[in-house]
Formats: sequence, C-alpha cells, structure tokens
Amino acid sequence: MLKRRIIPCLDIKDGRVVKGVHFVGLRDGGDPVEACRAYDAQGADEICMLDITATVEGRATFVDVVRRVARQTFAPLTVGGGIRREADVRRLMVAGADKVAINSAIVTNPRLISELAARYGSQCIVAAVDVRRMPARPGDVEPLYEVVIHGGRRSTGLDAIRWCEEVAELGAGEIMLTSMDRDGTRDGYDLWITREISRRVPIPVIASGGVGSLEHLREGLADAEGCAGADAALAASIFHFGLFTIGEAKAYLQEKGVPVRPPEPSRFASHV
Amino acid sequence: MPREVTVVDANLGNLDSVERAMVQVGAAVVVTGDPDRIAAARMLVFPGQGAFGEVTNEIVDGALGAAIRVVIGRGDPYLGICVGMQLLFEDSEENGGQRGLGVLPGHVRRFPSGMTSFPGTRPLKIPHVGWNDVHPIDEHFYFSHSYYVDGVDPNDVMWTTRYGTLEFPAAISHNNIIGCQFHPEKSQWAGLRFLRSFILGGRG
Repeated sequence: MLKRRIIPCLDIKDGRVVKGVHFVGLRDGGDPVEACRAYDAQGADEICMLDITATVEGRATFVDVVRRVARQTFAPLTVGGGIRREADVRRLMVAGADKVAINSAIVTNPRLISELAARYGSQCIVAAVDVRRMPARPGDVEPLYEVVIHGGRRSTGLDAIRWCEEVAELGAGEIMLTSMDRDGTRDGYDLWITREISRRVPIPVIASGGVGSLEHLREGLADAEGCAGADAALAASIFHFGLFTIGEAKAYLQEKGVPVRPPEPSRFASHV
Repeated sequence: MPREVTVVDANLGNLDSVERAMVQVGAAVVVTGDPDRIAAARMLVFPGQGAFGEVTNEIVDGALGAAIRVVIGRGDPYLGICVGMQLLFEDSEENGGQRGLGVLPGHVRRFPSGMTSFPGTRPLKIPHVGWNDVHPIDEHFYFSHSYYVDGVDPNDVMWTTRYGTLEFPAAISHNNIIGCQFHPEKSQWAGLRFLRSFILGGRG
C-alpha cells in the first residue's frame, strides 16, 4: 500500500539553512547540502527546501543550492519560495527539483497552475496554501479559514476549502497546507482544516505548520478519529534540532499503526 | 571498464538525476537526443516524466522512435522509466488519446476516480504520489503518476503494486526490455540497487 510520507523542510536564506541544523555528525549545520544528504541517508521520504530570501542575488544563490543538493541526494526534492512565473519554475526544474511549491503567484494568477501542469505535468506542481482560522462569528456552523499570502501578512478573502478544491481542478498535483496560526508554535498541526481538506480534495495533502513532537506527526497522518489523515507530514525543528531522526519518527508511527516506509537499512545510514 | 549507458534526452523532463544515479552505480553515461547515437547504443535508458502529448507524438512518429525500435529489435538492454516505459505500449488515454510505440501489448489508462481502499473509506488521491511497496520483492519505490499500464501480457509483468483495489504493473520485463513505473533515480537505496542490476544485465 501507499505509505504516508515524512518530509523534513529546510528554510533557506542567502544559500544557508536558517537557524542551522544541529545533529550529530554534521560539520556545518548551515550548509543545505550537508543537511539534505544527512536526511537522505536517514531515509527521508522527500526533502523540501523553501527559499525565504527577498533579494534577486539570493534567488540565484538558491537555484545553485538546489543544483548542489539534487546532485548529492537520491530522494524526491520539492522546492519553493518566490516562484512568480514559468521561467522561475524552469530554472528550478533544470537545477534538479522534482516538484515546485507555489504560493502567492497562483492566488494572483490561478491560470498559472493549469499552464504549468500542462507543461510539466500535474505531479510537478504543488499548490502551497497558507491558511489562518477566522474569528468565530455568531451563527457559524463550522470554523472558517482564510487563505493568506506573503508569509501571512496579506489576507486574500479566499475560503481555504474552496481554494483547495479550485487548485485541484486547475491541475495542481498536491497541496502543501500550512497553518499560519500553528507555524513555529510546536503545538501540532491544525487538525480540523487539514482533515477537511484531505477529505474533500482529490489530490494528496501535505500537512505543515506546528510539529513539536512525534505524536503530532501521528495526529497529522493517521486516519483515526480526531486525526487529520494527511498524505504527508512536513516538519522542521524536531528534525533540525536533532530531537529525533527520521528513522525514529518512522519507528514511532509504525508502532502506532500509521503506514510508513520502514526506516532504512543500517548499512545505508553508515554511508554518510 | 564501466558499462556505457546511453540516456535518451527527449525533452521529457530533467535527466540529471537519472544520469547521476547511473554514474553512482558504476555506469559511464552518455546523454543524447541524437537518433543516430541512440540507435547505436549498447544499453539504452529512456526516462520520462510528464505526459503523453505533443512530445510523445513526435517521438513515436519520428526518428527517435525509430532509433528506440532499432535498439530493442537488436536485442540490446533497454530500460524505460515512467513515461519511458508507458511509451512502449499501444496507446494512452492521456490528452484525448495518443499512440505509443506498440512494442508490447497493453494500454495506458488513468486511475479511476473514486477508487477506495475499502468500501466506505475516503476516495484515493490521484496522482499516486509517494512510496509504495512492490510484489513479490517487498521493496519500496517512489511513484509519481496518474496513469498506469493495463492489459499487459501476464508474462511481461515482473512486479506489481497495489493502489486501493487496483493492482497494476510496477515493473515489466520482456526479453531485453525492462520498464518501471516508479522512479528508481528517486528511490534511494532500493532504486540504486535496481539500476545496478539493470546495468549488470539482471532483472532488477
């Protein structure tokens, strides 16, 4: 059966890992290539890198990072941040990315999704959707979530569920759903909206924002009551700070009955 | 001496990762879109992601398709990855119906929508993205596709994978031809092992 994926995610600024990655055996935790190699060797199901640089020079540096990482890893690579047009996608794909995650640009120009899907195939196009829970109003039957862009600084007025249905119809191959309320809190994923979108949208959903423990990964991925049933779980700090390895996360999930690809054979781990 | 492997560049996505993976397992790699060089290949790998459509039509009708037939007809080892495997079959439902090379019997079909694992559970997602296990070798590979090959001669099916209630060919083999629906170049140790056995002339 298809397994639920564990995806470590690195924020990159000016070619370096933001805040660094700190676990045993790494010489330079700020080097994205070294970090990605380590995650590949631990058996990460996919690796995600998001560029949070704001400058043009920084963007060029990111493309170079993608190229160097792609050359040294044998896992699927998803990249995002600052993608505005087809030329940006092409640069990253040529550099070796397998999928691109696009956020603000598809909100301002939804047609971009279908154009990119026709050119690269839906499987390459990940719609990055950042959402925020709206304050409850009298008479609401269920919570409302709004799509936000520019790192959560700008609201769009789009309803999160309807927007996710739309990106799927337009040809996106996956949704990377980030709760801006939970991002950075380590309080766990926003399970309500992740579950609703996973249930209602016919393409895979990657849960993102808020992981602070292995139990949070289980809640995001499991189909059980009260869990979100997402297809993949993105996490950053629990892996970067060496709290857990990918293998430990998988062993935990496996024991709790979540279908994951088994931790990698040890002879491969000794490779790095 | 390293085995020389020719990788077909048909404008069907990035070939870097396939090239690197082949090098990693000990091949000397030539990447080319030149039909003459492809026809002369002693070992051919045709990777492809994306879709059946304009690009594949040109391949099927053009010199590239002819070159691939030459290699296969001569009996030299051929490995088709994803769309590079799908192209070997008769036709595809993708983009309103497209012809394939017709080297092997079978049809490329879209996963039916509304497919479930068990009655009453949520429909399975399309595309089928992620790591799935293949039978009978019990190893996980990375898949990323919305179409699969149906109606394959059972003798040509090497490995299968289950997605929901559907069991489809994960890898096929017919004389000198090997094909895989998964991406060995993105499948870490399992993928490298698979590629290594291909260049050593094994069956994956």
